[in-house]
Amino acid sequence: MSEEYDVEFVERGDREARFLVRGITPGFANGIRRAMVADVPTMAIDTVRFIENSSVMFDEQLALRLGLVPLTTPPEGEFVEDDTVTLSIDVEGPATAYSGDLVSSDSLVEPADENVPIIELKDGQRLEAEADARLERGKDHAKHQGGVAVGYRHLQRVEVVDDLPEFQEPESQIVRGVVEENGELVPTSEFDHDLSTRHPGKEIRLEDVPNAFVFHVETDGSFSVEELVTRAVDSIEARATELEDAVQL
Amino acid sequence: MELRVTESSENELSIEIAGEDHTFMNVLKGALLEHEDVSAATYDVNPEQSGGQTEPILTIKTEGDVDPLEALEEGAAGVRTKTTAFREAFEAAV
Repeated sequence: MSEEYDVEFVERGDREARFLVRGITPGFANGIRRAMVADVPTMAIDTVRFIENSSVMFDEQLALRLGLVPLTTPPEGEFVEDDTVTLSIDVEGPATAYSGDLVSSDSLVEPADENVPIIELKDGQRLEAEADARLERGKDHAKHQGGVAVGYRHLQRVEVVDDLPEFQEPESQIVRGVVEENGELVPTSEFDHDLSTRHPGKEIRLEDVPNAFVFHVETDGSFSVEELVTRAVDSIEARATELEDAVQL
Repeated sequence: MELRVTESSENELSIEIAGEDHTFMNVLKGALLEHEDVSAATYDVNPEQSGGQTEPILTIKTEGDVDPLEALEEGAAGVRTKTTAFREAFEAAV
C-alpha cells in the first residue's frame, strides 16, 4: 500500500486557506475534515468565578459569552487535556468589556481577538471575574472547535469544446470552488463564478477530477491553518497507533 | 479505545471499538478494503439517543487462511501509512 499525495496551496492566509490535495480518497478527505472540526482540542473558558457582577446580565449569560471567546492554543505537547489556565477580567462602567480586557496568567493562552464585546457597562456597573480555560475537543462543546468553516469540493476541470451556435441565447454557467484549466488552478471568484464571462460564446465541458479535493479551511484564531490540518492528521494517526497496539496484545 | 470481540470465527470477526465515531471508522474501513486478503469490511454505528448498542461495530471477512485480527492490525497500519504520507505531502507544500 504505497500512498502518494500531492498538496498545493491555492490561497493562503494565517486563518484562512484553500489547498488542493490530489490522490486522496473521499473517505480519507472526510476523515480529515471531521477531525479538524471535532477532534482537535482548543482552549476555551469553562469555569467562571464572579467576584462582582453588577451588569444587567446574569452570571451564567456572561459565562457563556466568555466561553465563546477564542483563545490561542499552545503548541502540541505543552498542555494535556484537563489542564487549566486562569484568566481574569476587571472592567468598570461606563465602558464596554472586550475580550482584550482578559488578562491571562500564561502568555501562551491569550484571547485570539481583542475586539469581541462581552458586555456594555453603564455608570456604576462593574464586572470582575476569574475564569479557568480548559483544553477540550469540539466534540464536547462548540467553543472548543478550532476549525470554524472547514469543507472540501471536487476539483473541476474546464475544457473549451467548441463555439456556441451563432444565435444561441447566452446562458450563465455557475461554478464554485477552484477549477483546473490547461493544468492551471483558477479560483472561481476570479471570474465571478460564471464560466460564460470567462469564455463568452464557447461551449464548455466541466468534469470532476477524480480523487482531487480542494479544502477550504478557516480557523477561529486558536492556531494557524497549517497547525489545524497537521493536528487533525495527528489525531487520526494516534488512534490508528492505539488500535494497532490494542490488537497486538 | 476499548476493544470487545462480539463474534469471531476463522474468517470473520465482529469487534466493538468503543469511543470512536465515523471520523476514524470510515477511514479504517477504507484502509481495510484496500487490503488484499480482506473480502468485506464494514462498520455500523447507532445514534447516541437510540439506546442499546451505540458504539461502532466493525465486521471483517477475510479470504483463505488469513486471521481477520491480523488483517485489522494491518488495516490500522494502513491508516498510519496514509496519515504519514499526507503529513509529508502537506508539509512539503507549506
